[in-house]
Amino acid sequence: MNLPRLYHRLRLTVVQVRSLHGSSNVQQVETAAVAAESDPVSSQFSVFRTSENDPACHTDLHAGQYYTLPTAQLRTLFPHGLPYRFQMQIKTFNEACVMVRQPALELISYLKKADYSRPALRYILYGETGCGKTMSLCHALHFCATQGWMVLHIPDAHLWVKNCRELLPSSSRPGRLDQPLQASLWLKNFKTTNDRFLSKIKTTQRYVWTKRETTEEGRPLGELVDQGVARVKSSSDVVGALLRELRLQAGGAAEGAFRLAVAVDGVNALWGRTTLKKEDKSEVLPEELTLVHNLRKMLRNDWSGGAILTTLSHTGSLYKPRSAYLPMELLGEEGFDTMDPFVPVPVSSYTEKEFESCYLYYMDRHWLQHPHSQTEEGKKELIFLSNRNPSILERLCATL
Amino acid sequence: MIWRSVDLRRTALRTLLQLQLNMAASTFCPVLLPLSRINCKLNGIYTLISLNKTAAYSTGLSVKKTGAKTGLPQRGGKELRRQIKQVLQPRTERMAVDQDWTAVYPTAASFKADAVPLPVRMGYPVKKGVPPSKKGNLELLKIPNFLHLTPNAIKKQCEALKPFCTEWPAALDSDEKCEKHFPIQVQKKDYVFAGPSLRHPDARIVTLTVKLSSLNLDDHARKKMIKLSGERYNKDTDTLTITADSCPLKQQNHDYAMYMLTVLYHESWKIEAWEKEKTRADMEEYVWEDSPSQKNILETLLRIRPLSEQQEEGEVREELLGREEVQEYKDSVTKLKNEGETEGNMQQYKEAVKKLLSI
Repeated sequence: MNLPRLYHRLRLTVVQVRSLHGSSNVQQVETAAVAAESDPVSSQFSVFRTSENDPACHTDLHAGQYYTLPTAQLRTLFPHGLPYRFQMQIKTFNEACVMVRQPALELISYLKKADYSRPALRYILYGETGCGKTMSLCHALHFCATQGWMVLHIPDAHLWVKNCRELLPSSSRPGRLDQPLQASLWLKNFKTTNDRFLSKIKTTQRYVWTKRETTEEGRPLGELVDQGVARVKSSSDVVGALLRELRLQAGGAAEGAFRLAVAVDGVNALWGRTTLKKEDKSEVLPEELTLVHNLRKMLRNDWSGGAILTTLSHTGSLYKPRSAYLPMELLGEEGFDTMDPFVPVPVSSYTEKEFESCYLYYMDRHWLQHPHSQTEEGKKELIFLSNRNPSILERLCATL
Repeated sequence: MIWRSVDLRRTALRTLLQLQLNMAASTFCPVLLPLSRINCKLNGIYTLISLNKTAAYSTGLSVKKTGAKTGLPQRGGKELRRQIKQVLQPRTERMAVDQDWTAVYPTAASFKADAVPLPVRMGYPVKKGVPPSKKGNLELLKIPNFLHLTPNAIKKQCEALKPFCTEWPAALDSDEKCEKHFPIQVQKKDYVFAGPSLRHPDARIVTLTVKLSSLNLDDHARKKMIKLSGERYNKDTDTLTITADSCPLKQQNHDYAMYMLTVLYHESWKIEAWEKEKTRADMEEYVWEDSPSQKNILETLLRIRPLSEQQEEGEVREELLGREEVQEYKDSVTKLKNEGETEGNMQQYKEAVKKLLSI
């Protein structure tokens, strides 16, 4: 623990003014500081940072350390995937640093070892609120993206079962309801992430949207997506068609083969209740929503050539008790029977090492301004108050 | 009954004078048995007030008897003042630590602040104050107190009842033997009641408890019995409790409860025609056969290794179900569903799935 202190004092002497926005400055100072210090110290001074930014190369050695997401690719990788508070942190610190943690490493190891000629495996990340399930999912998705997979990321399935202003009766199927706004927004973000695939994959069927609009067989998927973004009314059906196409063509043996990662955050929304009401004030069941219906089909393991990564989320869930976090409690009978067999991956609060790492990171970023928080006593208080829960710790430190 | 101190003093004085006059008659105490001298002292004043006019008997502040002075009562201010002071003091100050409490509160009585030596406070405090003390506290008077039911008092009552009881049978010296020979337990209550009639309405209630493990039931009969009893069955202790209170007499209710038990037992052994329509939702516990979980796993395994032409579906199904990993998976799912979800169960499920899908 004394080594980071020593490092701190050294850095303070080197540079007078610290600015939060000078990340490149920080790098230079770090290298300068490294040169100034002796060798056995320098290898340990950044206990909380690693220079290994490729998720494929992350191992247990890097556990507890922060790696940086390249800011240039952040927009295309995660247009809508990261948690809101993390996005604010990226803006403040001017860098996107993600901690390498054991659940994400476990998930990545499964993805590396899996056989993609077999039906898609389902993984469910579960844990208490604020433990880092979404962040672990994003870490795994970064791995998939670096490996050249196509990423189908639904950032929060709960958004599709509540607070929907416009519910249109479906044009293609009676008894179903469309959600044009949500579908078109999701298609826009999907396009940002996977643009390079959309020109290569071709449709296998003719789709008729209205009397005058059709998409012929053999057209690139990009056209399909543009159709959905432009014509908001049929966007839900476009999403359904897109999912069907991807399901059929993922992992094929052809030269344009791609692996598909389906990532759903808050998958328990698909089998819960909704707060949407039909015109006669009766409650809408999730299966009556086109988006939910098509997504459920996607989550079945009848296709191969990819993986299904999901998270359970209690925040945003409807009509569930606050203490519920285990899979069966949140998914319910129906959800469990549909997702079975799946691999549950538990996510827990920070260990001591991870907490140290987080604390050092905040100190490094000068996020903890309160003088007492920089002492040992203050650190103990933080441990006590947050119980090492990542989100609570983040909120606490934001007030300091 | 709050007496002003002046009144008390006056009456105390009068008492003492009368005592001097009627010394001889002081042994005659029709109203009060001198259980204890203390008792007499306190009650003596009040009794004397009511018998003021006909002070034939001086019930005796037997103050004289307590002291060493057994001779003629002495006149003189000092002694008199001392006696009056003793009378005016609350009884609690003359209580010994090892006194017999059953004598202070032999029966249920209202709370007497001067007879209970505890510094009890009760009531809502005023602002920046404390709850009012016990002296003159109406709240303490209003509530029921159990000062007459101390363990000592109960022991004495039990001792008094013992001559009327019979011996406990020596052969029944453990709970298991009692359970084995007398599985059905019937509880009845008797009340001592004083009202327009001497009968207490709750005396007719009869409760019958029996453990289902002591009855001869097979699997189907047991499940049916539990379903028929509904709320009356306690899963944790495996007891069925039948309460009968619809008849006016205890004997009738007892017969009715026994009849109910007989009917339940015989009905649960019968199998009706409509019972074969029992669905999965009616089942008491999770059964893995024909469950969605089994279907899913078979489908997944078949997708991994599709059927070739020679193999028949039924055979392959049997072979797949017989595999060890599938059995392990089945155990873990059944455990999850029946015993509820815990971290341990989840871990077991995870291991089983990983093994099965060879991750």
